[in-house]
Amino acid sequence: MDEAPGLSDQYRTASPWPVFIALGIPISELGLLFDLFPLAVGGLLLFGGSVVGILKESGYVTSTIRAVTALAVIFLAFGAWLAFTDIALVTRGYAVIAAAILLAVGGVVFELFVREQRQTF
Amino acid sequence: MEVNGQLALTVLMGVFLIAVAAWLARVEDWRSYTPLAGGGTVGGTAEQYVSEEKPSGVIRWLTTVDHKDIGMLYGAYALIAFAVGGLMVVLMRIELADPSMTLISNTFYNSLLTSHGITMLFLFGTPIIAAFSNYFIPLLIGADDMAFPRINAIAFWLLPPAALLIWAGFFPIPDVIPAQTAWTMYTPLSAGVGSGNQVNAGVDLMLLGLHLSGVSATMGAINFIATIFTERDEKVSWANLDIFSWTILTQSGLILFAFPLLGSAIAMLLLDRNFGTMFFSVDGGAILWQHLFWFFGHPEVYILVLPPMGIVSLVLPRFAGRRLFGFKFVVYSTLAIGVLSFGVWAHHMFATGIDPRLRASFMAVSLAIAIPSAVKTFNWITTMWNGKIRLTTPMLFCIGFVSNFIIGGVTGVFLASIPVDLVLHDTYYVVGHFHYIVMGAIAFAGFAGLYYWFPIYTGRMYQVTLGKWHFWLSMVGTNLTFFAMILLGYGGMPRRYATYLPQFATLHQVATVGALILLVGQIIFVWNFAQSWLEGREVEDGDPWDLADDDLTTAEWTWFERKLETAVTDGGEDETELATDGGQAVDDADADSADDA
Amino acid sequence: MATKTFDKDTILDLTVNMVPLAIILFFVVAFTFVNPFGFESLTSGLQYTLLIAPFVLLAALTYLSGKAIAGSEKEGTVYAPGQATVPGAKPLHEEEGEEAAELEESPDDDTVEAADETA
Repeated sequence: MDEAPGLSDQYRTASPWPVFIALGIPISELGLLFDLFPLAVGGLLLFGGSVVGILKESGYVTSTIRAVTALAVIFLAFGAWLAFTDIALVTRGYAVIAAAILLAVGGVVFELFVREQRQTF
Repeated sequence: MEVNGQLALTVLMGVFLIAVAAWLARVEDWRSYTPLAGGGTVGGTAEQYVSEEKPSGVIRWLTTVDHKDIGMLYGAYALIAFAVGGLMVVLMRIELADPSMTLISNTFYNSLLTSHGITMLFLFGTPIIAAFSNYFIPLLIGADDMAFPRINAIAFWLLPPAALLIWAGFFPIPDVIPAQTAWTMYTPLSAGVGSGNQVNAGVDLMLLGLHLSGVSATMGAINFIATIFTERDEKVSWANLDIFSWTILTQSGLILFAFPLLGSAIAMLLLDRNFGTMFFSVDGGAILWQHLFWFFGHPEVYILVLPPMGIVSLVLPRFAGRRLFGFKFVVYSTLAIGVLSFGVWAHHMFATGIDPRLRASFMAVSLAIAIPSAVKTFNWITTMWNGKIRLTTPMLFCIGFVSNFIIGGVTGVFLASIPVDLVLHDTYYVVGHFHYIVMGAIAFAGFAGLYYWFPIYTGRMYQVTLGKWHFWLSMVGTNLTFFAMILLGYGGMPRRYATYLPQFATLHQVATVGALILLVGQIIFVWNFAQSWLEGREVEDGDPWDLADDDLTTAEWTWFERKLETAVTDGGEDETELATDGGQAVDDADADSADDA
Repeated sequence: MATKTFDKDTILDLTVNMVPLAIILFFVVAFTFVNPFGFESLTSGLQYTLLIAPFVLLAALTYLSGKAIAGSEKEGTVYAPGQATVPGAKPLHEEEGEEAAELEESPDDDTVEAADETA
């Protein structure tokens, strides 16, 4: 900072993801706690998508599809644990599984169509 | 009906997600204008993937990961929460002007009581500290930003949903009522057991909100620890670290060990409430909750008070014209408080019938922890002793802090003693004691910081006379309200009640008058704050407090001076002036640097 | 090394934490001799653990922080807290003043140069 007075003001930083990560967590929590299927699925999608987005943006992952897949697998395992073990929170488990599947599908769609377009910029 | 509800939710959620995706796509496009952003071509250095200019308007604030902006967001958030929590208590105090139930119902009083506590501790106290630490720690230690700027942003953005959840019971949502568990959420009441109304979803929502605020605090703490350990300027060695950074480092350590425990306890409580687990309903479950809660709850006290002590230790010497007396005493005693705070939790539980041998140990450590706090107090007094004192508004608030902290601290030492505690437990004495600390000390230090750094974050100066009015009304109001509470406690008035015996009426009315004086003071503060921000005299000098005269300038003021000199605007208000460095201003900078050399 | 790091000044600074340590120690001894509630392995064990654990942790943290602070005092220039990066700030130890001034020269020059460049 000493070498460049005032530069920390000129070089701004911004990221669109944190807000949505922060929104995704409570929405999915509410959905899972009160067994509201759409909220659970939507919140998890928002959370998962934003996590992948922020990881990509900050360079912690290089491949979007791999990050999405990894997250989807984690969700899938969690959902299965809820739905098919002794815990037997069936509807909540299905919500998480649905979110996992949608997330994976979304990742594939992004990989096949959206990313291509972007690279033509 | 049920299906329709689900359908509506699904549609709503779908529309929301599509809107988010569309917005993100636009933002991503905007981002791709910058050289290295977007696409799979990144993989470069860690600094280059972020867009290098801030967008304008609301989007700037929604997307910012700049520590100063996030500090401002924390500050705005905390002040809004302070207003909400303050208005809640005004209503309660007005109700208490009369012994019987007059203005509001007893259940509504209980709801306000619960929300006031949680709001002030978690939505005002922690965030106002985070406001200062986010803005100033990187400046003080010579870092470019926090170690994890995005996590910093996530930590902030978890807080607005947390507030909405905590206050959800007050919103007109069908079948949801506010929690009435008090901020300690003791089971079995909070587990929804029995014939009470605490089975209600309002309690679940509050617990979720509290959990979120805990997650937020933990993320922030990790960030500060990483920042202070790794991002310091080469010159800022451990020996050169300022006192505010020391207190934030200690506080972050406390958060790291305390808040996850609160999170777990809340998760257990939610499981008990909704999924039929029995953590707190088996034999000893109630005492288990108290142990878990206070193992978090007592460090929380120091989480809230250490950074304000740091602010006072930083600000007070600047207006006493000399360096802090016994700086290292203050540092080591801060660390001592940090460790010992984890060994005192059961002094909140002396009256529960736990084993007397355990009680004795907790009493011993509680008495020991009084020493480091007292050491700080003596250091502040000695710093002022024969000093060149300038009674500016921040200094007044610092002195008010010391004064109130002495009363709050001394009353606390008595509570640490088992026999005294058994008499005073659950009376207004306790309420008076901790309000002296929370309002009289923590909030006062917050105000000291807000006034002291006002020129830095607004570029303007506040109105001095109004500042003094604010201080004196706050000081008188605080002491009137909370000293009356201490006396009420001696008289045996139990805490948390909406109604009381007529014999307590006079002192309750005194406390209510004090609270109203506080209200007037805070209204003046809001007016001064807002008007000065918009119309105040612009600060043209990088050293508005003339700290350089006594060689007391600290790093954040030199940053501010450079900022003024290089004439790059903050960008907060004047979007049009995205100026590059002006030639004229830099000449000035040269001249000044030459002077310095 | 330890004796070198912990000179008289540092030990004087650390006395502030020795007071609470002494208080805890006092109670450990006191509870051993004055013990109206009798001895029972679990609760008495906990009783002493609750005293000894904070004692050990506080002693350890005091030692570590003292070492870190005193160590960096020996190694680098010591400024008034929060003033290390302030241009023109003078180091606290006068005897190190000359050296430090040398060290200080370069970053200050950089500042001026950087300002020149951006202009």
